[in-house]
Amino acid sequence: MVDHHVEIEQLVKTYPGAQKPSVDRVSFSLPRGEMLALLGPSGCGKTTILRMIAGLIAPTSGAIRIDGRDVSAIPVHKRNMGMVFQSYALFPHMTVARNVSFGLEMRKVGKTEIEERVKKALDLVKLTGLGERKVSQLSGGQQQRAAIARSLVIEPELLLLDEPLSNLDAKLRDEMRDEIREIQARTGVTAIFVTHDQDEALSMADRLAVMSNGRLEQIGTPREIFDRPQTDFVATFIGAGNFFSGKVREPGVAEVEGLGELRFSGEAPTGSSVKLMVRPHRLVLDGTGAAGVNRFSGTVEHIVYRGQTLTLTVRCGTQRLQADLPTHAGVLPEKGGEITLAVAPEDVTFIEKAAA
Amino acid sequence: MNPAARSADGSRRVLLMLLLPGLVALGVTFVLPLLWLFRASFASSAIGAFSGGDWTLSSYETVLTDPFYWLVAWNTLVLGFNVAVFTVILSYPIALFLARTESRWRGVLTALAVAPLLTSSVVRTYGWMVILGDQGVINSTLQALSLTDGVVRLTNNSFGATVALIEIFMPYAILAMLSGFGRLNTQLEEAAAMLGANRLKVFTRIILPLSLPGVLTAALLVFVLAISAFVTPRLMGGGRVFVLGTEVYNEATVTLNWPLAAALSVLLLVLFSSVIVIYQRALRALEA
Ligand SMILES: Nc1ncnc2c1ncn2[C@@H]1O[C@H](COP(=O)(O)OP(=O)(O)O)[C@@H](O)[C@H]1O
Ligand SMILES: [Mg+2]
Repeated sequence: MVDHHVEIEQLVKTYPGAQKPSVDRVSFSLPRGEMLALLGPSGCGKTTILRMIAGLIAPTSGAIRIDGRDVSAIPVHKRNMGMVFQSYALFPHMTVARNVSFGLEMRKVGKTEIEERVKKALDLVKLTGLGERKVSQLSGGQQQRAAIARSLVIEPELLLLDEPLSNLDAKLRDEMRDEIREIQARTGVTAIFVTHDQDEALSMADRLAVMSNGRLEQIGTPREIFDRPQTDFVATFIGAGNFFSGKVREPGVAEVEGLGELRFSGEAPTGSSVKLMVRPHRLVLDGTGAAGVNRFSGTVEHIVYRGQTLTLTVRCGTQRLQADLPTHAGVLPEKGGEITLAVAPEDVTFIEKAAA
Repeated sequence: MNPAARSADGSRRVLLMLLLPGLVALGVTFVLPLLWLFRASFASSAIGAFSGGDWTLSSYETVLTDPFYWLVAWNTLVLGFNVAVFTVILSYPIALFLARTESRWRGVLTALAVAPLLTSSVVRTYGWMVILGDQGVINSTLQALSLTDGVVRLTNNSFGATVALIEIFMPYAILAMLSGFGRLNTQLEEAAAMLGANRLKVFTRIILPLSLPGVLTAALLVFVLAISAFVTPRLMGGGRVFVLGTEVYNEATVTLNWPLAAALSVLLLVLFSSVIVIYQRALRALEA
């Protein structure tokens, strides 16, 4: 029984003449129908992974398996994968319909069936009736849709999208984000998409694989990645955070210099040094006013008004805390005022694989 | 007049001033001689052509009624067609390679491909005479190996002229193709492969159609250059290849029948313009 649809194992790519691998021993797997985001800063090897899966470049070592079968011997044109390129790569000398039908023509599908399936694919991406247009007569968003239709019409084993939203303006990006998610859910296709935008990854993907420098840092659901980052890189790359170094006093309690005791979630051996993180929006105003475990009193140094939230910089002992408070939280602090901030122990994350 | 209109007017005047030297140069060296050429083709003698004498259609009558000139026109078209076809066929793979390679030697290779332009075409024609001539490299090799008894005629005929012209025009064809390959892009080839196209299908469905404008431009350029060529057909043809270029030269410098030379030149111009019209039609059809 094969429980994973797509399996990547110990994948390595070292480009000819390169000093170090662009992709370094990356492994992950996807169940059927999942949408996985490869997230990481530009140049970390996301596109390289996608191109190896597609068969456009050969891995230096490692395996790519679909339904348990190694596909490395299968040439690109027989892999039956759909790819949406960053620049769409629509054929400029063909109409939209011909672009979409290209894959079916290559598969020698009958004429009437091609017509039917092209129409269905165009309907799916809301390009109904635009089949006879030239590619150059489409807007950026429409080109994006045409590219998606073209790669889905062949009923691919796996849909690959390389920075699908990066060429769209902000408003269209939000719209296409939902749309791609919906199309993927409706067709049930297993999909991997590459992005350097954390919002995109968090909002679109079932799971995220966060990469840095060719290595896979952490893979998990958006919640796991955001709330339980396991490495320094993931913690700093995704969202904002307050970071503390401390020493574990007793199970679940660490002493942070200049701040006091901090109760945290996660297991760390007593006596060890730990790195802890608190997201700014997990800090709340504490009415009792007294400092204590997970309660810090300090002076407001700086306030930035952001509409729905207020970003405060609060000096507590020798530490500076950043807190995002909702603006509807009753009496709001003022600059120079004394306030007390509190955080629940489950919102203090112990970063397991932090560099000591 | 509002300021915007005034400044637009001013910038137009500046543009005109900038264009003026070029326009004058073109007028004096191109338009005037061309007008004079038309005038000369209707004169009855070389003297008449200069001194604004008589008007007559006799040169055109000669050109259009003498079967010899029909043959010359036909030869010219055949030569132009052959040279264009083979130059394009031979240049296409080179241009395609240069356009697609990711090698860091690409610049050097491109320079090498067009380096023959550094040598005059007359010198290169002599080079071909050395290779193809009766006592040339090919013939002496064949004889030394006793593969042939007599001389294989490779020069003094249109074969020699065609071969030399093809080689001489290849750099132009390569440059024209490279400039016309703008829509080629490896990502499109990858997209086609992802959709199930093998290498042959990628070539016939993607590369070929997208490179066709460049191919057409190169074909037009080479055809036009070939039908107006005269040094190479004359040297390689040894006086036995009659094309419009050599005939114009003959009438102008040997027979000194300038009106006839002018009429033949006008005929060549008519050929040019019809080819360019056909080319533009084809290009528009491609883009539609
Ligand atoms: N064709 C190539 N040849 C050599 N190095 C490459 C090539 N493509 C990408 N690289 C290198 O590999 C690394 C990862 O690139 P890429 O996968 O494109 O990153 P990302 O998509 O995450 O931005 C980069 O350092 C890049 O310079
Ligand atoms: Mg990339």
